[in-house]
Amino acid sequence: MMEMINGLMNTMLSNQVSIPLIEPMLDMLQGIPMMGYMIALVLWKPFFAIVICPGLTVGGVSLLFFPWIERKLCARIQWRVGPHEIVWWLGGVIQILADTLRFLFQEVIVHKDAHKRYFLQFPFLTFIAFLLPLLFIPAGNIVAIKTPYGLQIVLLLLCLFPLFVMGLGWASNSRFAYIGTVREAFVYFAEEVPFIIAALAMIILYKTSDLTLMASEQCIPGIILNPIAALTFFIAAAMATSRMPFEIAESDQELCAGPHVEYSGIAFGLIYVLCYEKGYIISGLMTVLFLGGGAGPAIPYLGDLSGAFWFILKTYFVMTTLFVLRTIYPRYRLDQGLKIGWSPMLIMALIALAVSLVEVAVI
Amino acid sequence: MSGMKKVVAPEYNLSDKIKTHAYAIGTAMEESVYPHTATVLYPREKKKMPDNFRGYILFDPDKCISCFNCSFVCPANAIRMKEAPNNRYYPTIDYGKCIFCHFCIDSCSGGALRTTKIHDVAYKDVDEMFTSTEEMIEPPEIIREDKKSVEYVIDETDLHLKRKKERDGLFVEAVPPVEIPMVSQCVDRGSCLACKICERVCESGAASSVVEEATMTVKMAIDAEKCTGCGLCVKECSMQILRLVRVRK
Amino acid sequence: MEEEEKDRNIRNVHSGILSPLRRWGTKWSLWPCHFLTSCCGVELAHAGACGFDMERLGTLNMGISRQTNFIIVEGTITRKMARALRIVWEQMPEPRFVNVIGACGQRGGIFWNSYNVTYPWKIVPVDFFIPGCPITPEGLIRGVRAIQEKIDGKDITTIKFKKVELPSGGELEERMVPTTPKLLAPTPEVKIDVKKSVDWAFGNELKGRLKRELEGLYESITITDTNRIAIRATQEKFMDVAQRLSDIMKMDHVKNVNVIDVPHERKYIVEYMVSSYSVDELMPVITTVFTEIRREAEPEFPSLTSLWESANYSEREMHDFFGVRFEGNEGMKGKFLLAPDTPETPLRKDFKIEEERYVIEEGVPLTPPIDPPQYIPHPSSVSEEEYLKMPAYEDVVEEAEKNDEFVAFIGPHHAGSGHLRWVMRMKGDVIVDVIPDPGYVHRGIEKLAENRLYIQNIPLAERPNITDCINMNLGYVRAIEDALGTEVPERAKYMRTIMAELSRIGAFFYDMGIFPLFMGHSSGFMYSFAIREMVLELIVRMTGSRCTPSFIIPGGIRRDIPDDVLDLTRNFTTAINKRLKKFENIFVNNPVLISRMKDVGVLTREEAIKFGIVGPFLRASGVEYDVRKVAPYEVYDKLDWEATTGDAGDCLGRIFGRLEEIKQSVRIVKQAVDAVREMPRGNVISEEILGDYKEASGDIKGYLYNVYGNLVLPKGEWTSVTESARGTVLYSIISDGESNVPYRVRVITPCWMNLRGIIEASKGGRVADFWTVYASFGYFPPEADR
Repeated sequence: MMEMINGLMNTMLSNQVSIPLIEPMLDMLQGIPMMGYMIALVLWKPFFAIVICPGLTVGGVSLLFFPWIERKLCARIQWRVGPHEIVWWLGGVIQILADTLRFLFQEVIVHKDAHKRYFLQFPFLTFIAFLLPLLFIPAGNIVAIKTPYGLQIVLLLLCLFPLFVMGLGWASNSRFAYIGTVREAFVYFAEEVPFIIAALAMIILYKTSDLTLMASEQCIPGIILNPIAALTFFIAAAMATSRMPFEIAESDQELCAGPHVEYSGIAFGLIYVLCYEKGYIISGLMTVLFLGGGAGPAIPYLGDLSGAFWFILKTYFVMTTLFVLRTIYPRYRLDQGLKIGWSPMLIMALIALAVSLVEVAVI
Repeated sequence: MSGMKKVVAPEYNLSDKIKTHAYAIGTAMEESVYPHTATVLYPREKKKMPDNFRGYILFDPDKCISCFNCSFVCPANAIRMKEAPNNRYYPTIDYGKCIFCHFCIDSCSGGALRTTKIHDVAYKDVDEMFTSTEEMIEPPEIIREDKKSVEYVIDETDLHLKRKKERDGLFVEAVPPVEIPMVSQCVDRGSCLACKICERVCESGAASSVVEEATMTVKMAIDAEKCTGCGLCVKECSMQILRLVRVRK
Repeated sequence: MEEEEKDRNIRNVHSGILSPLRRWGTKWSLWPCHFLTSCCGVELAHAGACGFDMERLGTLNMGISRQTNFIIVEGTITRKMARALRIVWEQMPEPRFVNVIGACGQRGGIFWNSYNVTYPWKIVPVDFFIPGCPITPEGLIRGVRAIQEKIDGKDITTIKFKKVELPSGGELEERMVPTTPKLLAPTPEVKIDVKKSVDWAFGNELKGRLKRELEGLYESITITDTNRIAIRATQEKFMDVAQRLSDIMKMDHVKNVNVIDVPHERKYIVEYMVSSYSVDELMPVITTVFTEIRREAEPEFPSLTSLWESANYSEREMHDFFGVRFEGNEGMKGKFLLAPDTPETPLRKDFKIEEERYVIEEGVPLTPPIDPPQYIPHPSSVSEEEYLKMPAYEDVVEEAEKNDEFVAFIGPHHAGSGHLRWVMRMKGDVIVDVIPDPGYVHRGIEKLAENRLYIQNIPLAERPNITDCINMNLGYVRAIEDALGTEVPERAKYMRTIMAELSRIGAFFYDMGIFPLFMGHSSGFMYSFAIREMVLELIVRMTGSRCTPSFIIPGGIRRDIPDDVLDLTRNFTTAINKRLKKFENIFVNNPVLISRMKDVGVLTREEAIKFGIVGPFLRASGVEYDVRKVAPYEVYDKLDWEATTGDAGDCLGRIFGRLEEIKQSVRIVKQAVDAVREMPRGNVISEEILGDYKEASGDIKGYLYNVYGNLVLPKGEWTSVTESARGTVLYSIISDGESNVPYRVRVITPCWMNLRGIIEASKGGRVADFWTVYASFGYFPPEADR
């Protein structure tokens, strides 16, 4: 038994996140019995990645604060103020908390025509499933599962997203949800092909598909090496996360949010944050592929967290750009969206592929 | 036809598209740095309303001649007159119907009705919205959370919000209407039926009847001094022989 | 019922251990459902736009009832809308709150005695009522604050009145209560073709020509006013007359279909007002063709839709109002505008509406006790399945399913529907057919206008379209002035022009605010509402009211506009450019939007005329018809400006045309303000109409009722056409020459005419194109439904 624990301890201790800033505090805590194990577990890189960064904690905090950042920035661009009155000296920073609490305590209505069991299960299933890619995305050198096939797995998991959204729509069994679901399916195919090809271009360029390596070996960020791939990836990301101008499946004014139309209470609350979750993951991936992941001037006090810090900062930047698109663009029609996906973007993706091949050949 | 201008939408080629994309993105970026915010932070601050703003209506019984004009002209029938202890009819307003057209104020020749800048109130009940004459005399109190007032200033270049630390007053001095004195006069005394309707409808006691003992007939008389020129007798006269005429001095 | 429900929601928030969290969350996250019920929705939009930004309080407008917890009932709930309101409320998860804004939702406001209005507080439990017509955005936010306090458990009173003793001790005795000011002729003589001698050379020529062409078909041809000709025909020959007008005279569209009920003569007068866009000289001329038919329970009349498709919807409307069956019109099966439980044939004279009362009487309620629709509360006779079911168009669904089509029922509660409901049949992503179901904001102003003084109808006339209030008001007043032959003082004419153009700019930016919303582009909405906020600021400073000024009165305007406001208006004409430029950059010229609009919803010139489109949308299809140019009024002929036309007839053409049009409007305002500033101050009301009250010519204050209360129009029909922001608005007042209330008022609003255009333009397009077309027409349902 003890051996097993010790063995585990050793594994964990060999792969620890080092944060100079909190080390004095950790030393103090070591004095408390059993605390050593706890600290070792928390600072064990895979565990740290899942629970703290870029996983649940940072992800959760992002979900709580990012909508606020988005709403404030959009409001600023739109000549207004945005959430403000709730703790007004902080500019309404806890607005999303209030929304969340409201959703949490609100009645969840299951309408007569819904496929009741699936209708209730899907939001939760979707929420969990959407978190899975986080296991593979490295924040600096912190990653939960390090594998040479990281990018492929993440892409595979990302492909699952629309399936879940379609599940939501199907379970709702309503006319608008039906149209929205069909649209989601169409857009999914249009966006997925250029998306994967753009990612493929980067695999060719970096000659690896291990996300940690891809991030750490970019001395020049991918966006400069292959800007066309970056642009294609970004547009495809906007399509995949249903951002403007491609918010076609859930277009509020046409289909009343399409697949989500019948959800209420906390079920809708989960769906509401899904798009931010999607945005977080895809932005994270974009950061890793094109912006050098956690690369940046090292901050000595943060140690390993330094990379994570830069990673989060860049992710937020990408995410903000992605979300602020809604203040700039109206939405495309379904056929236009599909046309963009299947022709210009596909061509751009192929060009990006060619660019990568040429660059690899030359270098 | 002359004076017609044909508007033709341009053809968009690739460079136009790139340019317009850039303009749209550029505008958003510019605004995110230097926003042209135009928001009034109500209820923290309140927008300054002009003095002629049409809000809640106040009433001054001393100036009222009980002419019913406000009630007659009200398009929503929100104003109904109520008999006061002094046997005069004064207006009441049902804010559940009032459309704030202020036709009543513009019809009040005595200047008894006047406007305020009150417009932001909420009632718990429809029945509460009825405001009796007694409640219309003194300015009401409303909940105010504002500390500042904001004024819209439009200069030649743009709209600006001018904020002042002081609160905007809700009550304005009433501008009295021009005086056009009128009295009621009988134009055809011979046709008078002496039905006494004018006497019964008169609010100021100007119309009166005198019984002439000798002939046992009733004669009507209108006291020009007392007459307020409200026109009710003119309107009600069964023979239509009364007219409102200008007071000649 | 209401009290229990109301308390239940508050109890709900206050229950449980976690109640503080629950209260706090609910308090700061009141999401109003995007359920537009009537015209107060305009001010709701302002409260949500950048002028006031409701989102500051955590109050985010959301389109879907399931995900919101707050209904703001915006004004009138009609009998048709009542069911939708209840459905939306039932769909909403608890705890849910309801605010009613606007007088219409409280005691009916100006529509208090309408046949189609109900009280929302009898349908759903209401927490707060906010007075106003429309309310100001501040009032709306005050209502939100009041709910927040209520959720906190505080019992607040937002307004406290101080009671003052009234003077007592009168020496007068029992008093007579004055009778109603309305003078009604007992047997009014209704005549449409009253001859008027006017100096109109072309009229005589036209009359001669008509006489030749219609030889043997007509009974009489009369010139009733400048540019107005009335042709009387018998019922049998009516169709032939119409046929010749259409074929030989090239009269290609119907401006108005009207029925006048004359019960004491046991007849209906059926009239069609036709005009021509194809012949230049005939453009300003309105030819009225009318006939008299026997007054029966359901009289029949041949429909003229085969000649003039533009008469279609108006004929259906007349069927609803009077029960006249237009044979040949396919819409005679059921009701079009009215709800199933609205009284039958409400515009017949024998259907009486509640009379006004002028004194408070014991035991008499303040408003008529209107019963809620019969399905509230849930009647035991109806099963849960059937309860609150909206009409489902079973036949359409059946037919669509046979053809492998999909049917969606959209509206009236839908983030992109406004107050309209439509049934959309689609095959894949292509629209096969759209069946409109209007009338959710039908408040029956035509009936109400027959029961009010001419002057009282001014606020009524602008209520259908409070986004373009001044032009609506102007149109009605112009009809009265035409009848009276009043000459308006020069200064007032300029003022009216300035205000009308400001109103046009305002209406454009309203439509340009809704368009981005339909496209999912909130910046465009905010930007255009910021400009609109500027326009409203000018209007409020001129008139004292943001949206419903009722400022134009027969013979002039209510009072002179002060110089500082004129200066502000002058500044506005240049200040608008900066924000307009930004708006164009981010929205109008946005490549995504261009690709959405270009070649979408095309109406060719012929189609546009056939379906009776009006205004800038007609001009966008290439018809050079602008009332301001064709039959100039006010001072439009003295100023230098251009009307806009186009030839594409697509959404892009409509939008670009209107954008150019408001630039021209700015030009007009600029010139007019400059002209007024050089003008000496003087009368703004015609002295001729003031009579004894000449001193009031600068400000009507004090004498409005004295001057206008007993206004009586000469006998006949008085029609005015005015170019409002969205097209030609037509008022037709029929006076019997004796009463001080009109005998019949007919209002044709541009949106009512454009409805057909929207439906036709969107057929064959993609599903998402419907919203582009809908928004490019600037459709404003209260205006269409009247």
